[in-house]
Amino acid sequence: MNKQTKVWLVLSTVLSLLALASACSKGPETNTTTNSADAGGTATAYAGATGTVSGVISFNGTPPTPKKIDTAADAVCGQKNPNLVTDDTVVNDGKLANVFVYIKEGTTTDGNKKIGDYAWSTPATAVQLDQNGCHYKPHVMGVQTNQKISIINSDATQHNIHPTPKLNQEWNQTQPNGAPPIEKSFSRAEVLIPVKCNQHPWMKAYIGVMKTPFFAVSGEDGAFQIKGVPAGTYTVVAWREGGAAGTEKTMQVTVPASGDVKADFAFGEGAATTSLTPSLKMMPALEVPVRH
Amino acid sequence: MNRGLNRFAILVACATFFLIIAGALVTSNDAGLATPDWPLSNGQFFPRMVGNLFWEHGHRMVATTVGMLTIVLTIYILTKEKRQWVRRLGIFALIAVVAQGLLGGLTVKLMLPLAVSTAHATLAQLFFCTTVSLAVFTSRSWIEAPSLPPEEKATEKGSLPLRYLCTAALVTIFLQLIIGATLRHSAPWDQHLPTQLVLAHVGGALAVVVALGSAALTVLRRHRQEKFLTRPARLALVLLVVQLFLGLAAYMTRLASPNDPQPLNPMIGITVAHVACGALVFATTIMLTLRTYKVLGVLVVQDLHDYQEYQVNHVSHV
Repeated sequence: MNKQTKVWLVLSTVLSLLALASACSKGPETNTTTNSADAGGTATAYAGATGTVSGVISFNGTPPTPKKIDTAADAVCGQKNPNLVTDDTVVNDGKLANVFVYIKEGTTTDGNKKIGDYAWSTPATAVQLDQNGCHYKPHVMGVQTNQKISIINSDATQHNIHPTPKLNQEWNQTQPNGAPPIEKSFSRAEVLIPVKCNQHPWMKAYIGVMKTPFFAVSGEDGAFQIKGVPAGTYTVVAWREGGAAGTEKTMQVTVPASGDVKADFAFGEGAATTSLTPSLKMMPALEVPVRH
Repeated sequence: MNRGLNRFAILVACATFFLIIAGALVTSNDAGLATPDWPLSNGQFFPRMVGNLFWEHGHRMVATTVGMLTIVLTIYILTKEKRQWVRRLGIFALIAVVAQGLLGGLTVKLMLPLAVSTAHATLAQLFFCTTVSLAVFTSRSWIEAPSLPPEEKATEKGSLPLRYLCTAALVTIFLQLIIGATLRHSAPWDQHLPTQLVLAHVGGALAVVVALGSAALTVLRRHRQEKFLTRPARLALVLLVVQLFLGLAAYMTRLASPNDPQPLNPMIGITVAHVACGALVFATTIMLTLRTYKVLGVLVVQDLHDYQEYQVNHVSHV
């Protein structure tokens, strides 16, 4: 075989191998694009008619007397807030404050989709949590997933903020007086996340993290209002603290288009409630938390 | 026997006991995460000691002191002590206190997972056991304690050896300490303790009563003239009774704790006292067990021969 023939033979072999390699590669891009578009399925924003869910939370019977808090361990707390008492049950004229009310699930009238299937944009504004008078303000609050929480310290002492979620990443941070706000968010919906201060163990707050914006916290007059709710039928839940994981009441409501539906709840004596018990584990914290 | 070494070993054991109390105060006050960083507290060696930071940083300061004392004790042992096994125990004490410090840091960094917190509490008791043992081994009474006469040793023949009873009591107490540590760290002050763990701890208490009670009463029955053994036996029984009452009181006060606005006395004081008394029961039982091994040892053939010879001589003289 002469030299020229050998050269042609090698070239042919290389070209054949290249052709073979290209034949074994992925299919046409058009198919991939189509598949990914179908498989992705992005949620869309709701654009139909909306209504309002409003109501009043009552407390039946005699509310428990707030307990006096011993602030001797930190003189600053006693000076700023000498009459500090517990705020787990705040009742004014039979109306209960600090109840977290939210739409748990349901389907819309328009499109007959689940409310969670729509895309709900995360608000750009942060919700503030203030450590003031060795006391969290507000005591109960709600945010959307990934919405910023701005934590400030208005006291002349050091605080330590420690949320204890079950579904989100737990964290624990000290915040001295004069320190800049701590900005955090939670990526997963969770109702509700207890917050404690390891420096001042009487300090407690609760944060409800929701995928949708349909939640509210009852005020001093027990009233709440949830606006912009898509017309449809839903389960509304009222949660208040107490016991191992809080107490809940539920109600089915139908939200009319451009209308208002009333959802009044009652807690206390004689009011049927569902006490939440956490899953009973023998060793509740054996697993070591993994940092993401 | 080096009196200075023994006194220093006693000092370290006492300091360790104080550290166990300091640690128990951290748990009972829910101060374990008062500062999220370690080994500094809020980035400082000496932070402002207010609120729960007083308990957490105070505990770290006491722990550092015990660590320093242990280093000095280990050096002291290595320079003055000739018995190789005591020297090894001194090195073990140093390793244990370093490991304990690291466990303490780890449990803070991981935000108090139950397994790590329980391991920290358990190693604390083991380290206390080690310092008590060093104090015992370097004591005059230990070094000069004679082996019991053959006729006393012979009372072991045909019966369950006392050293086995004491060892069983020691192991039972240690297991009960682990259950107790798990129970204490299983729920914060404002939540109820898991029922299964409470029942396990109560069951463990019964087991300790049987095991330690049997061992101590057997000592008092068989060797009532030997103060070297009867003193720790009597002390163990007294501490056991006190511990049972403290356990009941701790449970009652802890039951009411979720209704309180914050960790309060008497719950704090009684639960800490229960931990401290548990450590003392452990320490006393260690002392008793070590002493039974020392003076009773193993009943060897020579002991039997000595006993028979003693019988012959004694009878013939009578």
